Amino acid sequence: MKYEAVIGLEIHVELNTPTKLFCDCPNRPGDAPNVNICPVCLWLPGALPQLSREVLEKAVIACLGLNCTVQPESAFDQKVYYYPDLPKGFQLSQHHKPLARNGYLDIFSGSQKPRRLGIHHIHLEEDVAKLLHETEGRTPISLVDFNRAGAPLIEIVTEPDMRSPEEAMEFLKVLRTQIRYTGASECSLEKGSMRVDANISIRPEGTCVLNTKVEVKNMNSIQHVGDAIAYEIKRQAGCLEKNEPVVLHTRLWDHEKQVTSPMRAKFSGPCVPDPAVARIVIDDAWLAERKAKLPEMPIQKVERFIASYGLKRDEALVMSQERELSEFFEKSVTDYHQPRKAANWIAAHLIPALKDKQKDISNVPLSPERFQALLGMQDRDEINANAAREVLLRMLTDDKNPEEIVEAKGFRQVSDSDELEIIVERIVEKNPSGIQDYKSGNMKVLGFFIGQAMKVTQGKANPKVLKELFTRKLS
Amino acid sequence: MNLNIFLFSAASVKEGGKDCLRVAIQPNMSCQGWPATAGSMALEKYIALEDSTVVRLLKQAGARIAGSTHMSELGFGLVGDTGNRTITENHADAALITDNMGEARVAAARSGIPGFKPSYGIVSRRGLIGLIPSMECWGILAREISEIRSVMAAICVMDDQDFSMTCDRLPDFDDKQCLKEPSGVIGVEEGYEKRLTTSEKAAWQTAVSAMEKTGFQIVKIRMMDTALFGSVHNVIGAVEASSSAGKYDGVRYGHRTSNAGNWNEMYLKSRGESFGTLIKSYLFQGAYFQFENYAAFENACRIRGQLLDETMQAFTHVDWMASLTIRENHYACKVSNIADMYESFSFTAPASVTGLPALQLPGIALYGNTDFGLQITGPPLSDPALLALGVSLGKKQKGGPAK
Repeated sequence: MKYEAVIGLEIHVELNTPTKLFCDCPNRPGDAPNVNICPVCLWLPGALPQLSREVLEKAVIACLGLNCTVQPESAFDQKVYYYPDLPKGFQLSQHHKPLARNGYLDIFSGSQKPRRLGIHHIHLEEDVAKLLHETEGRTPISLVDFNRAGAPLIEIVTEPDMRSPEEAMEFLKVLRTQIRYTGASECSLEKGSMRVDANISIRPEGTCVLNTKVEVKNMNSIQHVGDAIAYEIKRQAGCLEKNEPVVLHTRLWDHEKQVTSPMRAKFSGPCVPDPAVARIVIDDAWLAERKAKLPEMPIQKVERFIASYGLKRDEALVMSQERELSEFFEKSVTDYHQPRKAANWIAAHLIPALKDKQKDISNVPLSPERFQALLGMQDRDEINANAAREVLLRMLTDDKNPEEIVEAKGFRQVSDSDELEIIVERIVEKNPSGIQDYKSGNMKVLGFFIGQAMKVTQGKANPKVLKELFTRKLS
Repeated sequence: MNLNIFLFSAASVKEGGKDCLRVAIQPNMSCQGWPATAGSMALEKYIALEDSTVVRLLKQAGARIAGSTHMSELGFGLVGDTGNRTITENHADAALITDNMGEARVAAARSGIPGFKPSYGIVSRRGLIGLIPSMECWGILAREISEIRSVMAAICVMDDQDFSMTCDRLPDFDDKQCLKEPSGVIGVEEGYEKRLTTSEKAAWQTAVSAMEKTGFQIVKIRMMDTALFGSVHNVIGAVEASSSAGKYDGVRYGHRTSNAGNWNEMYLKSRGESFGTLIKSYLFQGAYFQFENYAAFENACRIRGQLLDETMQAFTHVDWMASLTIRENHYACKVSNIADMYESFSFTAPASVTGLPALQLPGIALYGNTDFGLQITGPPLSDPALLALGVSLGKKQKGGPAK
């Protein structure tokens, strides 16, 4: 039997506000353990939570960025369960009245036609403390770091609209881009500011039933999410083929072994309204102000880049992927006549170089003006492509104009025909068989000759001039 | 320090002047450096890190925190509570007792003194180690209503750290308008007398005629089954208590078992050994509603809304509502099970469920030597006027000057 997967995601996103959700302790991941704490986030007796307006504002902007309807009234509940990382005995979350509902994201998973995937709701909640399991001699011990306790999270609960691991991965990429655009979070699975749980069930293809789902946790990258879902679909199909029932439970993804393994029965504790926490009432005027703060989102930016700069959809998608990079692109092509060339240089050289150096465009000395100047030098044949790539790399570390680097490193291109002609003649003389090869139709030999000339000139020769000279000489 | 009354005393603390108001608190009200055990082994050796807002405001007003008394476990009921004795034995001028279901009013009635529960949300709960957050507030006992008013004037201050303080304008306890002779209509529940024993009925009739003699008009008002107040309080209170007490695990403070093989066993045994029978029963009830019968909790919340609506509707016809404060043969300080507990607070629980201000007045609802206490409940935020009414009624009874 052919099966299809029904996939829904629960995504926790840590908001990058300066303070925690219910107190003014710094929200600073990475600090030494238990330094950013107070009676409220230690959940000590007598302490009362105090909702941060800044967190609320950022959460609302993130909800708007995900096309959700922000609710006029939302409230916190006590999600009751006990674990050593939650010694209060309940987590403040919004179960009954979430902050926002009915959102969506459009994905282009391998097709030009977008597919709309629904977001059921988004709610605010506090993070729990962090457990560190160590040993003291031979004795296993568990330590608790409360720095993370009370950090602000939004949980995005999707509709079960995804049908393949690829769709889930594409959804996460789009979601990450959208939230990064709002400035609410870095959304890094690797750094823990985004955590994804996947709920997966399968059903006979073409049917509408919702079968028993399995929750999978512990995926540390979008690729892991895809891999885990793909494994789970296969595992569940195997169960059904063997007439084994799929049981509601939670499984852990093991990246090393590329398998999921059972963790525990799925736990769902009660949620009781908390009378001690402020009810959130949002009026139209306040919401309108937040909407006005929302930047142009990638989906609109892609269309504008296609229309205004003549980019292809793939190029526009890459240029709008990150907000800062998209702004860099736009500034670079101000008064520049070849926006597609700029886009291709950014995609092919700048983005990989930044990734290689583990830098963002915001923390390198390269400015859009310098980047444009570099492209201009290449357009005017002042430097060749190899030199331009070298200059670009240097501009990521050196606070210098491209002209300065070109002069200092002697990258300026040699386009003088007389100068190059001498080199061309010498190379042809040294390789007489090449002339015969060329004349008998082997055009590849032209590339060999140009390569030899580039070697002699240490990459500075203008390849266009070289091509002309060699063609004339060999003919 | 009288160890029978006080758990901890401020004898050595030089706060306030010689003639300042002496206020006793309970050890579930944070006072920096003082034990804050809330009457439970679950908080054994827990020391308050900072002053609660109320303690800070009292100190600012020049009051002296006289000490913290013994109290019932986590402020649930009055078993073991000694707050009233600080007043009757002249160790304090006012005593603060957490009022979850009427503890302050019932303790005052048993001692023949005034007791007051303010409107919910006009006094900060920051620093209160609470149990039922949607109902609990600081109740006040004193020899005279004027002392209750002084305490209220000091502590009824907006605290932006307590989000349950949602009213736009807090009542003004210094407002001289409130000292005028109050009059108006007092409502009593139709059929109320049928719920009373012979002695209670006689005391109630005495109170009704006293109120009429003072110039109040008494009218009967029809209410839905008032027994629902107790049931609603029980279900919601137990659920909230179960959540509130969830944090007491014996790890960072409180009693920790010495006999556990792993952490799960440690939690189970520590909690099992920490809580007394009464509170344990209540927490079990709460856990049952949370995990096994959430629909009952939702129904209780819905009915609570209806009861509040109905009560507010009644206040469109009457200015105040009256009842006795305590029941015959139901002693809140001696109860041994939850049903008994709710029976002994059956007249006071409604004001806790609705969050309305309520004042216990001594010397009016008398039968023989027994004072059942007269409880007057007012509409939201009518607290200063309610205290003025109490002064007026007391004055008429004693024939003395208003205090």
